[in-house]
Amino acid sequence: MVEKAQARAESENPIRIMPRSTRSTEGNKTGSWRYLRPRYEEKTAPCSAACPAGEDIGKVEMLTSQGLFKEAWETILRENPFPGVCGRVCFHPCEGSCNRGEFDDPIAIRAVERFLADTAERYDLKPLLERLPARPEKIAVAGAGPSGLAAAWFLTQLGYACDVFEASPEAGGILRWGIPLYRLPLAALQHEIARIEAQGVRIHTGRPVTPGFLRDLETSYSAVYLACGHGRTTALRVPGEELDGVGDGLAFLERIRRGETPDVRGMSVIIGGGNTAVDVARSIVRLGGEALILYRRRRKDMPAFGDEVQMALEEGVKLEELVAPERIEKDGGRIRITLRHMRIAGEEGGRGRIEPDGDRTSRVVAERLFKATGAEAGEAWYNPPPAGKGTVALSHCALSLREGRPALARGGDLTNGIKSVAHAIASGKQAAIALDTLFREGADSILSRLEACTVGVGPSLSMEIHMGGERRLRNRHVVVYGEINTDYFRYAPRMTQPRLVRAERARSFAEIDLRVSGNIAMREAERCFNCGLCDQCDNCHLFCPDLAVLRGKEGLGRSINYDYCKGCGLCVVECPRNAMTLEEEDR
Amino acid sequence: MKRVLEGSQAVAEAVRLARVQVVSAYPITPQTHIVEFLSEYCASGTMNARFLRVESEHSCMAALIGAQSAGVRTFTATSGQGLALMHELLHWAAGARLPIVMAEVNRALAPGWNIWVDQTDSLAQRDTGWIQFYCEDGQEVIDTTLQAYRLAESVALPAMVVLDAFFLSHTYEPVDVPEQEEADRFLPPYEARFQLDTAAPCSFGPLVPPAVYMEMRHDIAKAMETALSRFPGIENEYAAVFGRRYGVVEAIRCEDAEIVFVTSGTVTSTARSLLENLRSRGERLGILKIRLFRPFPVEAVRRALGGAAKVAVIDRNFSFGASGIFAQEVRAALCNAPGHPPVFGFVAGIGGRDVTPELLEEIYWKTKNSDAPEKESVWIGLQEV
Amino acid sequence: MELERSDREFMHPGHVGCPGCGAAIAMRFLLKALGEKTMMIIPACCWSVIAGPYPTTTLKIPVIHSAFETGGAVASGVRAALDMKGDRDTTVVTWAGDGGTFDIGFQALSGAVERNEDFIYVCYDNEAYMNTGIQRSSSTPYGAWTTTTPGKDWKKMRKKNIVEALAAHRIPYAATASISHPEDLVRKVRRAQATGGSRFLHIFASCPTGWKIPSEMAVKIARMAVQTNIFPLYEVEEGLHYTINTKPKRFPVREYFKIQGRFQHLTDADLDVIQKMVDEDWELLLRKAGEHA
Repeated sequence: MVEKAQARAESENPIRIMPRSTRSTEGNKTGSWRYLRPRYEEKTAPCSAACPAGEDIGKVEMLTSQGLFKEAWETILRENPFPGVCGRVCFHPCEGSCNRGEFDDPIAIRAVERFLADTAERYDLKPLLERLPARPEKIAVAGAGPSGLAAAWFLTQLGYACDVFEASPEAGGILRWGIPLYRLPLAALQHEIARIEAQGVRIHTGRPVTPGFLRDLETSYSAVYLACGHGRTTALRVPGEELDGVGDGLAFLERIRRGETPDVRGMSVIIGGGNTAVDVARSIVRLGGEALILYRRRRKDMPAFGDEVQMALEEGVKLEELVAPERIEKDGGRIRITLRHMRIAGEEGGRGRIEPDGDRTSRVVAERLFKATGAEAGEAWYNPPPAGKGTVALSHCALSLREGRPALARGGDLTNGIKSVAHAIASGKQAAIALDTLFREGADSILSRLEACTVGVGPSLSMEIHMGGERRLRNRHVVVYGEINTDYFRYAPRMTQPRLVRAERARSFAEIDLRVSGNIAMREAERCFNCGLCDQCDNCHLFCPDLAVLRGKEGLGRSINYDYCKGCGLCVVECPRNAMTLEEEDR
Repeated sequence: MKRVLEGSQAVAEAVRLARVQVVSAYPITPQTHIVEFLSEYCASGTMNARFLRVESEHSCMAALIGAQSAGVRTFTATSGQGLALMHELLHWAAGARLPIVMAEVNRALAPGWNIWVDQTDSLAQRDTGWIQFYCEDGQEVIDTTLQAYRLAESVALPAMVVLDAFFLSHTYEPVDVPEQEEADRFLPPYEARFQLDTAAPCSFGPLVPPAVYMEMRHDIAKAMETALSRFPGIENEYAAVFGRRYGVVEAIRCEDAEIVFVTSGTVTSTARSLLENLRSRGERLGILKIRLFRPFPVEAVRRALGGAAKVAVIDRNFSFGASGIFAQEVRAALCNAPGHPPVFGFVAGIGGRDVTPELLEEIYWKTKNSDAPEKESVWIGLQEV
Repeated sequence: MELERSDREFMHPGHVGCPGCGAAIAMRFLLKALGEKTMMIIPACCWSVIAGPYPTTTLKIPVIHSAFETGGAVASGVRAALDMKGDRDTTVVTWAGDGGTFDIGFQALSGAVERNEDFIYVCYDNEAYMNTGIQRSSSTPYGAWTTTTPGKDWKKMRKKNIVEALAAHRIPYAATASISHPEDLVRKVRRAQATGGSRFLHIFASCPTGWKIPSEMAVKIARMAVQTNIFPLYEVEEGLHYTINTKPKRFPVREYFKIQGRFQHLTDADLDVIQKMVDEDWELLLRKAGEHA
């Protein structure tokens, strides 16, 4: 008994309290220390701000790098119905503004876009896009070029019934008739147009825009969008340009696109420095002729894409710089062009300012001459009236609001300083947002609405923002290179676009730029900094010393637990992409 | 089974019988034999234990703190300088409530180098929270070591078993070594109150603010009181198995004593022979051997000394600026007891010098012939310098 | 990084490390790599406090806080006890600061690794006694201000090369790691865990408070230390086989020094001296790794 009592006494724990911790520190809310507050705030990538169509390029690249090709393609479609076209012919100002350019080389954004369009075409993908409920208003679009079709696409997304009227027998405008097949194959364009039609857009061909037709439209539609382009080549304003053998570059390209094989034997001279001039020259080479481009400035001043000029020269096109035609004359069955030599007298607007180089002249004799110095509206009245008196000149379109009559918007080449497909699309988008705002909220809201839809500092607009998508939450701040944490990126060469070799190119109108594989596209997209966007890299969560960054379901999405966040700011600095912001705590 | 053992081996035998699982030690004379025996036992498989041959006494105690925290029974032995080096961790072991048991072979502190007996090393550790036993002979060493485990584990405090250098550590005596089975009956396998456990994680030794530190220290104070109250029961159990009992103190013929010597360690044996001698000459000498120094058995000391006319404390140690340390403790124990006898303090045998029967008799007569202590401590046997 | 994407966390929030504490980040990475079958010894260091006051602990593994100089020894004891209990699965880890490793704990560390005790010793290095208020240690780099090397008395001695000291013990595995290179760090912890015997990890863990840098720069500065070769990332097996894990572009040390308050007094000439030291150390390392500049 005594022993048992002893044993019991001994088994009693003699320790009532000792230095031993068993409870979590969770009760200690260290968030009270904080005087700086991090938060997730996506910002604007410079590429997306530079894209006239306002494409969400950073996100497109991110989705592509993750192999989410359909989602990437749909992300383009929200802002641009022509990924297959722009992936081929866009002048890609996005690449020029790419922050990666300061690191090694810009992302091949256009090539990735083309890859996505090819992939969608190959697998016959159907986009699943947000669409607003149907509206009572019907809208007419005159001109089925890139601007008109883009406007119709966006208006359809916004709930409007749209009819597009086109003078030609087929839709596409400059895309159908002005760009050679080796740059834009017919199937690629047709695929895009078919998708636009599938969206509910009705296209009526063989319906040229006349004053009477326009009046008819006004009786049955709530608004009209006039986007019939610049179809007529600008005059050279030199003696002899009306002579036989002097042709119109655009018309020449259109003949080829209609299926004709014009006789181009011998030497053809092309006047101009834009893409049309280069397209004409390269088409001539492909048809067996010789081509000489005469340009009054230097090669580097040419508005044509540098790559195109380079390839043209490789294919045998000749280029003479700093010459301007002064006089065109007959020389037997041929034509003789007298050239005034020019010289550079300084720089203006990023290119050389020219003046005559004394009295120097020379002559060129050729079988024929093509004018390709620019184009203008087919009819003077297509052009917008001067601003004021009911017409507002917006960045990419002109909007005329007339008492008792339907609104009339003009866009595309009719209003744009830079005549590009991307700008044409920008016009269509701006007109669509403006008209939608007019119908929903009234004319007074249009400017503020456009401002709200601006990507970065503008003038690019986002339809996703207008439709209330997540993109509206982004800060307008355009991320600069210094804000990227380049420690997280490795040097990697830009992809090389595979192309037909020169000999193959010169023989046919087959597309020059070849398809790229998913691997190459993904690797290229992986190079993207995704400026200002969260790609779930997890650095914020990983480096948080205070376990105050929480992850959402399946590891996606992040949030900050302000109960514990001490505001050290590590997450913001270690964010490779500037998708976070550190602010003073408001307390 | 009776065997003739060196005092050091008596310690080692007890450690073996206690089924200690981790031994850690660093060599220092005169403790070395203990760990040599244990090394042999570990190497030969006589003991199933890990022997950590650490690079210092400080690491030695640190390693035991780690091992004991992980839930095993541990042991070490040291002396003099080694104990001094351990000092920080003696506090740690007690504060962490770890029932580590250590054999401490008293050795004088340098300079100059002196490897011989002197209790100042262990007594300087009296405030570290360790239980301290002082042993008189080899049998008591083996018995005390086993009891020390039982008591230490009962109250979750570390315990020190103290032996005189050479006079005990290196002296061969017949010792009754318990059988393992008997030892197991007295000392069951170690069960930690708390331990490192990945299935139930906790943190030992965190930052402790003033709001609770004092309560933790008070809990150690209470555990020391509990040690004092539980020890007789433990000794009863020991006696039931082995038939030997020592008590927290041993009062030898104190009932009718006029003068009582207060002793500790091997000096007690010398005093025992003087007692026989003096008693035969009609002198009424008694002896109070203090075995348990921490916790200090105040009541037992008061009871044993209450009837004496005078008390003479023999200290083989010294607290500079004060007095012999046992004398201080005895005075402190008696001062609140009404009518207590005067306490004479004597310092003898410092640094290994012999404490002979003649020296003790000199102390006896000095005490008998003085009305009151001339000073707190009188150094006996000093030469002119 | 699969591991870091997982939600294995062995720390609770609410610890009291300074904002931007590199040592807290290092602990997080270490435990993610080691997992729950881990016992930790923490000798006196910032983490004695960071872990939380009684009765709380921020770590979800068993921990024993220990005296300053005992990191190697306490671990030896814990390992011995586990061995005796037949527990071979649990990893025993000592987690010490630079003072507890380079200075006061060096003896116990040297003793433990000489015995080839089966444990991982991790030194998180913030290059001074930070917990006591920024005093100089033998890990404090040449040129640094601390509260005990103030004004003109800035530290004129080199930082002790602790990994070389450990390699000289011919331990099975020694490596450097940095909070700025989590994948490398986690790989090395895993590798250490899979190796037997004494293993040593030297983790560069910046201290915004003591280095006088903005807290948000804590990881960046650690990365710069690697990029400048001030803190090279390498591994040593058996004290013999060196592997250099990153070959940085050898950025000049200047930028690293210029942004830290503790080095503000240094002149261009001082920085030239330091650059020479760093270059010299790097050449030496390359030679040991059998490589040439």
